[in-house]
Amino acid sequence: MSDVFDAVMLLLLIAIAVTVGRAKDLLAAVVKFALYGLVLCLVWQHRGAPDVAITEAAVGAGVTSVLFLLTIAKTTRAEKS
Amino acid sequence: MVLFGLDLDYAACVVLFCLGLYMLVAKSNLIKKVLGLNVMETAVFAFIVTAGMVEGGDPPILVAGTSPPYASPIPHAMVLTGIVVAVSVTAVALALIVQIHAHYGTIEVDELKELP
Amino acid sequence: MRWLGIALVFVAAATMIAGVADLPVHGTPDAPIHRHVGARYLEHGVAETGMRNMVTAVLLVYRGFDTFLEVVVIFTALVAVLALPRGAGKAGPARVVSPSGSTAAATSDADAVGPQQADVPVSPVVFFVVRLLAPFIAIFALASLYRGHITPGGGFQSAAIFGALFIALALVFGRERAARLVPVPARVWLQALGPVLFALVAFVGWCLTGAFLGYPADAAAHAVREAMVVTLEVGIAVGGAVILAQLFMAMEG
Repeated sequence: MSDVFDAVMLLLLIAIAVTVGRAKDLLAAVVKFALYGLVLCLVWQHRGAPDVAITEAAVGAGVTSVLFLLTIAKTTRAEKS
Repeated sequence: MVLFGLDLDYAACVVLFCLGLYMLVAKSNLIKKVLGLNVMETAVFAFIVTAGMVEGGDPPILVAGTSPPYASPIPHAMVLTGIVVAVSVTAVALALIVQIHAHYGTIEVDELKELP
Repeated sequence: MRWLGIALVFVAAATMIAGVADLPVHGTPDAPIHRHVGARYLEHGVAETGMRNMVTAVLLVYRGFDTFLEVVVIFTALVAVLALPRGAGKAGPARVVSPSGSTAAATSDADAVGPQQADVPVSPVVFFVVRLLAPFIAIFALASLYRGHITPGGGFQSAAIFGALFIALALVFGRERAARLVPVPARVWLQALGPVLFALVAFVGWCLTGAFLGYPADAAAHAVREAMVVTLEVGIAVGGAVILAQLFMAMEG
């Protein structure tokens, strides 16, 4: 059962990473990146790393995503090409 | 789990790393490149922590409720340092992107290459 | 560029899969990673460092130099971001209007460039939830710092949680009200607290044991060890939190 959980989480990570790459709207890409950070936090917890999970949840979904949002607010929202 | 002689968890980390590498190299938008860099970094962290885990083991907190075998604490420490370094690199890169946009009006590498 | 990217990705993937194929299957308890240095730390860690959280023990005691240089790295990143000129780009993100009606005061020079953006009112749900949860989040961060040596937690964790809390408050209440939480003179000194406290403790360790960042090894000196560890954790937590808050405010304009 833990193997199935593991496989589902990793496949979800790969799928989210693919959608982050393909998103033309940068705001959508950043929101998906925050989701990537949260799924990664669950992966850390499954690997027996609670310290890393707390840090990843606060930093990945909190600080890094907000920095990206501030940059998008100051530059452009859509990716050309 | 192992499939066709290949450890699938390590293979997933390799796939994530290559997805991030592709985003870093092939996308033209600078913000997409920084996103790809972050995906690469998290893929490396996933690999490191997966290498140090024990199947069904406890976190390396030696209190009354946990028992051996423990996950190895050294990969966790390396990944914590790595997460902070990733935040630092991302913050500096994004600040530079804001400056580039203010000066040149664009953050697409294809357009930046055409400028005189 | 795209085909070059795909070719590079395939070469990198093939190389890495070939390299990873020789590793033992992950999760086996008798893999080499669990036997040499890691086993020694787990066996003697509680007696030598007095901490039960082995990750914190490795971070602060066994691999203290790595942590020292890492607080210097994030401090350097802050210096780099602060060194860039401010007020660039558009007139910043849309000013936040809190439901009580008070708007964040528009600053004069930063708005001179580019068109003004419309004020976006904060959703009352977000406002209420952030106001309700902020004290509990702060207590959790403090508890994570205080009990970081016996439960999952520690310096970085509480720094990240404090930093994220400050960002949430600044997004909801507006930048000026949140900036008053940490007044500017305190901010200027506290952001360097990480490297400063690390250098101080390293010097104390050098005086005590002759090794830079050395911890006294005899069992009777556990109070000294604990004092050094607590100082380092406070330095990482407070310094890291203020650095994250400063990064947010520097990028916001």
